[in-house]
Amino acid sequence: MDMSSTLAEIIETFQSVDADTRLDLLLDYANNLPALPEKYRDEAVRDLGRIHECMTPVFLFMEKDAGNLRIYAEVAQEAPTVRGFVSILVSAFDGQPCQDAATAPADLLKLLGLDGQIRMNRAVGLSAILGRVKKAAA
Amino acid sequence: MANDPTYAHPEVLVSTEWVEKNRSQTDKYRIVESDEDVLLYSTGHIPEAVKIDWINDLNDPVVRDYIDGDRFAELCAKHGISNDTTVVFYGDKSNWWACYAMWVFKLNGHDKCLIMDGGRKKWVDEMKPIAKETPKYPAATYTPAAKNPAIRAFKDQVLSHMKAKKPMIDVRSPQEFSGERTHMAEYPQEGVLRGGHIPGAKNVPWAKSVAENGTFKPRPELEKLYLSEAGLKPGDDVVAYCRIGERSSHTWFVLTYLLGFEQVKNYDGSWTEWGNSVGAPIEKTYKPG
Repeated sequence: MDMSSTLAEIIETFQSVDADTRLDLLLDYANNLPALPEKYRDEAVRDLGRIHECMTPVFLFMEKDAGNLRIYAEVAQEAPTVRGFVSILVSAFDGQPCQDAATAPADLLKLLGLDGQIRMNRAVGLSAILGRVKKAAA
Repeated sequence: MANDPTYAHPEVLVSTEWVEKNRSQTDKYRIVESDEDVLLYSTGHIPEAVKIDWINDLNDPVVRDYIDGDRFAELCAKHGISNDTTVVFYGDKSNWWACYAMWVFKLNGHDKCLIMDGGRKKWVDEMKPIAKETPKYPAATYTPAAKNPAIRAFKDQVLSHMKAKKPMIDVRSPQEFSGERTHMAEYPQEGVLRGGHIPGAKNVPWAKSVAENGTFKPRPELEKLYLSEAGLKPGDDVVAYCRIGERSSHTWFVLTYLLGFEQVKNYDGSWTEWGNSVGAPIEKTYKPG
């Protein structure tokens, strides 16, 4: 499969463990999502990055820096699943060539083995987040 | 024990204070957290609470149905719930999933069920104790009880109900009700072929029954919503539905326990079944403009 090595490694890790451990991994990612940088924290500015397809507040900002992608995000603590997924995207694509995010597989949730445990409404939001990242990186 | 004594069955609703006081009586009560977010419980929960997940625990992975009586008994036994244990449900999103889990327990004939008013958010906001460790309880003996079909509606029943012009509450958003929204962005394959609602249904989005702090609204406000505005009359035989039957179980709880309707059925097939069904009539109020 043609994808960045960082993302391939994350997928491989998720695929190598059982379903419960996969959720633990996702929770680790959720706990390690970096805070939004100061310049995006002002409420009016922050709201520009809101992903409206998500039922819980998700704010996402992408910048291009000399061909590399920077991703910054804020996700409510009450939504650890979304936080975890966003944190995976940040780990895989932040500071990496834009190409990596642009070519990310659209069925990432499935490749991570999480599609069975995450309800559909949530999956829609996650797919919208990935779509936004891919578009910004393209 | 209850917050608003004027509710039809105030004994079914307990406050966060009551749970705090009684949570250590684990031989009598089992606190169950049921959330939309599958990871939320692991971030911290009421120390004595176990987790029951609606997808991974309550739904049959193959048949579009709930787990059968034997597997329900296994699930209960595993969490140390016997037929006599009083189960106290709470969860995220104003107890949306807690009501759903309670509905599945009632469907399986488990009578002793309570809801903690205000749900997870109220408990956390009040800085009450939270733990990350999953408590372990000795396995219990659980004998499958007789099912309670009176609280569940199947499509054919809903069709007769509709023809008899009996009341129905559609608890989805106004956009889903009107037919403006037929499927969700980027997921056309998981959507519904037609948008709209079951002819004759009244739209009362489920969350209108909860206050800002996540607790249920007082009875007079609920009566205004469901009786004055949606036109339900005491004694009515009511069907509630949404997209897959989870939001409507919240309304089932409100109508049954807070307002005292004795014949409320949750149609869990809901719009994803009705909207796609051959021969099922729909009403669409949205006019593309």
